[in-house]
Amino acid sequence: MSSRDSDPVDVLIIGAGASGAAVAWSLAETRMRIVCMEQGDWTSPSEYPTNFPDWEQRLTERDHIDPNVRARPTDYPINNDESPISVVNFNGVGGGTILYAAHFPRLHPSDFRVKSLDGVADDWPVDYDALEPYFAENDRMMGVSGLAGDPSYPPKQPPLPPLPLGRVGETVARGFNELGWHWWPADSAIISRPYEGRDQCKNLGPCTSGCAQGAKSSTDITYWPVALRSGVELKTRCRVREITVNAEGMADGVWYYDEDGEEHHQRAEVVVLACNGVGTPRILLNSTSPQFPDGLANSSGLVGKNLMFHPVGFVQGLFEERLDSHMGPQGCCSLSNEFYETDPERDFVRGYMMQIVRGGVWPWSTAMLGAKSGTIPWGPGHHEAFARRFDHTANIGILCEDLPEEHNTVTLDPELVDSDGIPAPKITYTLSENSRAMLDHGVARAKEAMLAAGAVEVTGGGPARQAGWHLLGTARMGDDPETSVVNSWGRSHDVKNLFIVDGSIFVTSGGVNPTSTIQALALYIADTMKKNLANLFD
Amino acid sequence: MNDELIASDAPLSDAQRDILAALADTLVPASDDGAMPSAKELDVAGYMARNASDFLPELGEILARFDDGFVSEPLDARCERMQAFSEAEPESFGRLLAEVYGCYYQDARVLEGIGVGAGPPFPRGNTVEPGDLSLLDPVLANPTNWRREVS
Repeated sequence: MSSRDSDPVDVLIIGAGASGAAVAWSLAETRMRIVCMEQGDWTSPSEYPTNFPDWEQRLTERDHIDPNVRARPTDYPINNDESPISVVNFNGVGGGTILYAAHFPRLHPSDFRVKSLDGVADDWPVDYDALEPYFAENDRMMGVSGLAGDPSYPPKQPPLPPLPLGRVGETVARGFNELGWHWWPADSAIISRPYEGRDQCKNLGPCTSGCAQGAKSSTDITYWPVALRSGVELKTRCRVREITVNAEGMADGVWYYDEDGEEHHQRAEVVVLACNGVGTPRILLNSTSPQFPDGLANSSGLVGKNLMFHPVGFVQGLFEERLDSHMGPQGCCSLSNEFYETDPERDFVRGYMMQIVRGGVWPWSTAMLGAKSGTIPWGPGHHEAFARRFDHTANIGILCEDLPEEHNTVTLDPELVDSDGIPAPKITYTLSENSRAMLDHGVARAKEAMLAAGAVEVTGGGPARQAGWHLLGTARMGDDPETSVVNSWGRSHDVKNLFIVDGSIFVTSGGVNPTSTIQALALYIADTMKKNLANLFD
Repeated sequence: MNDELIASDAPLSDAQRDILAALADTLVPASDDGAMPSAKELDVAGYMARNASDFLPELGEILARFDDGFVSEPLDARCERMQAFSEAEPESFGRLLAEVYGCYYQDARVLEGIGVGAGPPFPRGNTVEPGDLSLLDPVLANPTNWRREVS
């Protein structure tokens, strides 16, 4: 059974995550009728795992970061068989910000000019200076903690003081100082002080399962409450199948399924895609018509191509002294940009960030990982080995810039479908020689840092498999319609009333967690739309 | 409701509970100094019933494997048999270990013994030292390292 909605909306946003929330909030002041469709639900902080004694076990099942493991009705399956890195995501109001670590660095100025500076990939059609006001506005809306003065960035002022370094941060910092390397307290989308009606972080430990305290700045508790009060409508459990077009080749609405699997059509004057670097190309490629036989907005043939992750390696150091590793925001401690920029002396171009991580080493997981690695036996000797390791470790994540390559793709799987019968995305990805060399370099440097910090045992490697958090580049922006999908303000070259505001439009990946930049871009695009309302489709 | 009915509703018989306790004690015996309890002191059977009901049929098969005096054997002998089991049936052993550890590392006495507060992280929370930001002095003494030559 299907139905057509005779009541068109002015703006239809697909996806209520990081970018969809930001663009909804920004556009709300236009007083247009704005509807956002989200395939997931609202989440309840009282149902996040850290409320329950078996919270660690929940992370391996119903609250897993991998949608293929979690397999909720609101998830869609993803075929990762042809990729060494699998996609992790969350479908619901807040999207990936529900599960992210909230490490919140900005892309650097050089990230927008890699072709000019290093002769690889392409420059972006926007730059850091253009986005700077939107970075700052987003920091204020989300609630970002950090320390001004980082010499690896242009000046910026986080609205809240930094999160505590703790023993992990101090210990690893001494190692970086010993080597003369850069490090700095991380910018974090976690509030270190009461802010906008939310209470501050209380160092629960795990952040990547949803923050029961509400201190982590997921968009369901930052942008959305304000956007809803401003008149934006948010409809959950609405899974969009395809965007429809009229005879003039303009988007005129979407087909979607409600919670009961009923099919509906919603008309719209403007459609905004905010579904991340996998969900967005999935919808575009599934939106075929006689006018767009290869998928919507795909005259360049680049929809779904140039998929970029951030290949991630991890290094763990074991220390004699107790570091209280289980406490505090797990992914937000400090970072190093020592190896961020290109150095011709290395065997790779571009660089990586090192992210000091304190969590992920909780009691049950410590025992289980110890059993798997043979470092903590069951039976006699268990307690002694456990005590040597638990709360005695620090971790460094190596987050590598991944350059765009057309053979890394999101396509529609010919067989796998979601619960509504919509083709599932298939990931085809190969780790490049450049990324491999960068990762190896980073792992070696992180081991060096751990030893300099006093670690008595160091292990690590990469790429981590379930680490496809950052989904970028599959509908890239640019000035040339033949080599890009959207223009410098997110508008499709082919369909003048179709916009994309998520990580799909990244031209290059940078080497930092992308959410801050995704949201700054979304605010920039929304602002440009507002400035051009009179001639939006020209 | 009489005692007989309660007993018949229990997922494990008394004999099975004894075997499970011996298995748990083999996997996590008490620490030498007595500070950390043996897993047999915890309600492992109740935990299994509450948290791992899907595992109960497989657990029954595991318990049957050890239904031959295992409970009265000394720890060394039990460890040998457990090792043989882990090598013969690694998946079953892995699940048993995960569930016993799951029970053990949720127990209040255990969590307090390893320096973690009892109960789930929320609403308890933790106090983390702010850290010494003067450690940044050497970083600030170095030149700015963001790439300015942006064309």
